[in-house]
Amino acid sequence: MSLFSAAMALSLAACSGCSGGGGTDNPAPSGGGAAGGTAAAPGRELPTAEGNKAEGDTIKIGLISSLSGDNQPWGEDSKNGAQLAVDEFNAAGGVNGKMIELKVEDTASKPESGKSATEKLVGEDKVLAVIGEVASGITIPAAQVCQENSVPIVAVGATRVDITQKGGAIFRACFTDNFQGAAMAKFAYEDLKLRNVAVMTDRKLPYSTGLSDVFKEAFEFFGGKIATEEFYESGGNMDFKAQLTNIKSKNPDGMFCSGYFTEVGPIARQREQVGLNVPMFGGDGWDSTQLINSGGTGIQGQYFLNHYHNSEQRAEVQDFVKKFQAKYNHPPATAMGALGYDATNVVLTALKASGATDSKSLITAIAGVKDMKGVSGSITIGADGNAQKPALVLQVGKTEFKPVKQIPFFVFESKKK
Amino acid sequence: MDWGQLPQQLVNGVQLGAVYALIALGYTMVYGVLRLINFAHGDIYMVGAYFAYYTAMVWFNRMTMNPYVMLIAMLLIAMVGCAILGVIIERLAYRPLRNAPRISVLITAVGVSLFLEYTGRLIFQTSPQPSIVEEVNVLAKPIHFAGITIQQSQLAVLGVTLVLMTGLWIFVTKTTMGRAMRAVSHDFATASLMGVNVDRVVVVTFVIGSSLAGAAGMMNATAFGQPLQPFIGLIPGVKAFVAAVLGGIGNIPGAVVGGLIMGCAEVLVVWAGYAGYRDAVAFVILIVILLFRPGGLFGSTADKV
Repeated sequence: MSLFSAAMALSLAACSGCSGGGGTDNPAPSGGGAAGGTAAAPGRELPTAEGNKAEGDTIKIGLISSLSGDNQPWGEDSKNGAQLAVDEFNAAGGVNGKMIELKVEDTASKPESGKSATEKLVGEDKVLAVIGEVASGITIPAAQVCQENSVPIVAVGATRVDITQKGGAIFRACFTDNFQGAAMAKFAYEDLKLRNVAVMTDRKLPYSTGLSDVFKEAFEFFGGKIATEEFYESGGNMDFKAQLTNIKSKNPDGMFCSGYFTEVGPIARQREQVGLNVPMFGGDGWDSTQLINSGGTGIQGQYFLNHYHNSEQRAEVQDFVKKFQAKYNHPPATAMGALGYDATNVVLTALKASGATDSKSLITAIAGVKDMKGVSGSITIGADGNAQKPALVLQVGKTEFKPVKQIPFFVFESKKK
Repeated sequence: MDWGQLPQQLVNGVQLGAVYALIALGYTMVYGVLRLINFAHGDIYMVGAYFAYYTAMVWFNRMTMNPYVMLIAMLLIAMVGCAILGVIIERLAYRPLRNAPRISVLITAVGVSLFLEYTGRLIFQTSPQPSIVEEVNVLAKPIHFAGITIQQSQLAVLGVTLVLMTGLWIFVTKTTMGRAMRAVSHDFATASLMGVNVDRVVVVTFVIGSSLAGAAGMMNATAFGQPLQPFIGLIPGVKAFVAAVLGGIGNIPGAVVGGLIMGCAEVLVVWAGYAGYRDAVAFVILIVILLFRPGGLFGSTADKV
C-alpha cells in the first residue's frame, strides 16, 4: 500500500491568524486507496442483530460522556454541544412530528464505566443511536457494544485509527490519528524546522500509543529522525523527571507529547526542572486550559493540533459560539463542544433524511451523510466511517490558545498494519 | 542507559523518595503505636494538597503576601489542617474500635479511605482539576551544579523533608512524650498500666503522622504542578506503604530508608529504559527483601507483616 495514496484538500474557509496553505504539496502521489472515502474499508461489516426500534412519541438517542474524572472538561463540553444540537432540532419541529430525547450517561473517564453506560443506553433506554466518547480508550469498548446490538455510534473525539475499522456501525465526527500524527509531523518538520525529535507516549492510552506510532512513521517519512521514545502511564505517577532526563541526554531539538493535558502540563513544568529547553508539541489531547495552569511557563509558546478554534471567522463557528454562549453563559472551553454538536448533527441529519425509526436503518443513513456543514469543518462520512476535515495548529499562550496555521486534509496511510 | 545521567537520575530519585519517606513515616508511626495500617493515610496526603491549593488561591489572588511567606503559610496550613483531620478520623473511626479485632479496624481504615476519596469526588466531580499555578512557586529557578540541574524548589523539598525527619527523630528519642510513644509501641496494655496516657499518645501520633502527609501533599503539588483530584493520594499511599514495610513497619529510620530506596529504584528503572516496570520494581524489591528479612530492613523479626 502506498504511503501517501493521495493528497487532497477539502474546502477550507480562511481563519483569522491562519496562514492557510494549499496543502497539495505532499510527495509520493497515488496508488489507489481511501482518498475521498470511496473505497470500501475492510472489516466494516454491518451488524446482524435486530437493533432498537423507536416507540412512543419521542426518539431517544444516547450520549456517553466523561462528566467526571480526568477528562471532565471534554465531557462537559461534549454534553453541552450535543444538547444544543438536540434543542435546535426539536425547536425546528423534530422529525415526522417526533421530538428527540437525549439520554446522557457519565463514563467517569473510564473504559469500563463507558461500556456499562453504553449497555444501559442500548439495552434499557433502547436508544436509536449513541454519541460519544471523547476518548479513544473509552470509545473502543462502547463501540463494541453498539456494533453487537446494531446501534450506530458516532464518536465525538476518538481519533485512534482502528476504531472505525472494527465494524460498520461505528462512525466519528473527528479526523483520525493517521491525519493528526502526519499533520503534526509535517508541521514540526516544515514549520518548526525540527530534525531530531524525542517522543513521550502514555502507554496506558490507546490514543497516545496510536498517535505516537503514526507520528514517528510520518516524521521519518518527511526526513526527520526520532531521537528516542520514552513512556509513562497516566493515572497515578506524576513524576516524569526520570524520562525527561533520559530524553535530555539524547539532545533532541524537539519533543512530541501524544498524551492528554492532565499529564502534559506536569511534563512541561518538569522539563524545565531538568533543563530540557526544546519546543514541545502534541495532538488534540492537549485541548484544555487546565494545561496552562499545570504547565506554567513550561507550556507557554508550545504547539498542538486541534479540530477548530472559537475565533475562526467561518459562519458555522461564529454562529455556534454565539448560540453556545447564549445557552450556557460561557463559550465552549474545548473543541469537544463543537465536536459533540457536530456528532449529534450527523445523527440528526441522517435521521431527518431517512426518516428511520429503527437503529439498523439509521446505520445506513449515517454512512450516507455527505457535505454536512459542521462547526469543525464540512463532514462527509466515507465508507471507512471517518470524517475528513482540516486541522488547526494552535499555540499555547498565557491564558488561551491562539490559532497559528491551518493544515488541509491529506491522506497518510500507515505502512504498518 | 546513559551513565553520564546517573547523578542527575539519583537526584531525581532522592527527591521522589523523600516524598515517599514523609508519607511512609505516618504509616509506620501509626502502625508502631496501634498495630493499625491506616489506609486513609494516602488520602490525608491528598487533602493536604487541596489545603495548600486553596491557601495559595486565597492569597495569590490578592497578592498581598511575600511569596516566601506564602509558601511557608501553605506548608503550615496543609500540616495543621491534616493534623486536625487525622485527629478527627482517629476519634470518630478508630477509637471506638480500640478493642475490636484488628481486622475490623483494618476494614474501617479502608472505609475511611474510600469515604475521603468519594466525598472529594462528590464535591469536585463537576469542576476542572486545578493545579497550584507556577507563579506561586518562586523557587522554580534551576541551579546548575557539576552537570546536574536541580531546581531550588527541589532543594527546598529535600530540605524541608530532612528538617521534619530530624525533628521527628529528636521528638521520639529525646522527649517525655516520645518516650511514652515508644513505650506504648512496645506494649500497649503495660504502658497504660504504668500510667502512660495512651489516648494522648495515640492522638499525638495521628497529629504527627497526618501533618507529615499534609506537608508531602503540599510540596508535591507545588513543585510538580500536579492537577488535583480526589484520587491523587492512592498511588503515593500504596508506594509509601510498601516503603514502610520495606524498611520494617513500625521503625522510623526504616521508613525513611525504605522511601529513598523506592524512589531511587523507580527512577533507575526508567533510566535503564524499562519505564513500564516502574511500579512493579517496588514490589519486586519488597518481595525479595521480605524473603530474606521478613520483618523488613530494620524491623524486628518478631513483627512479620
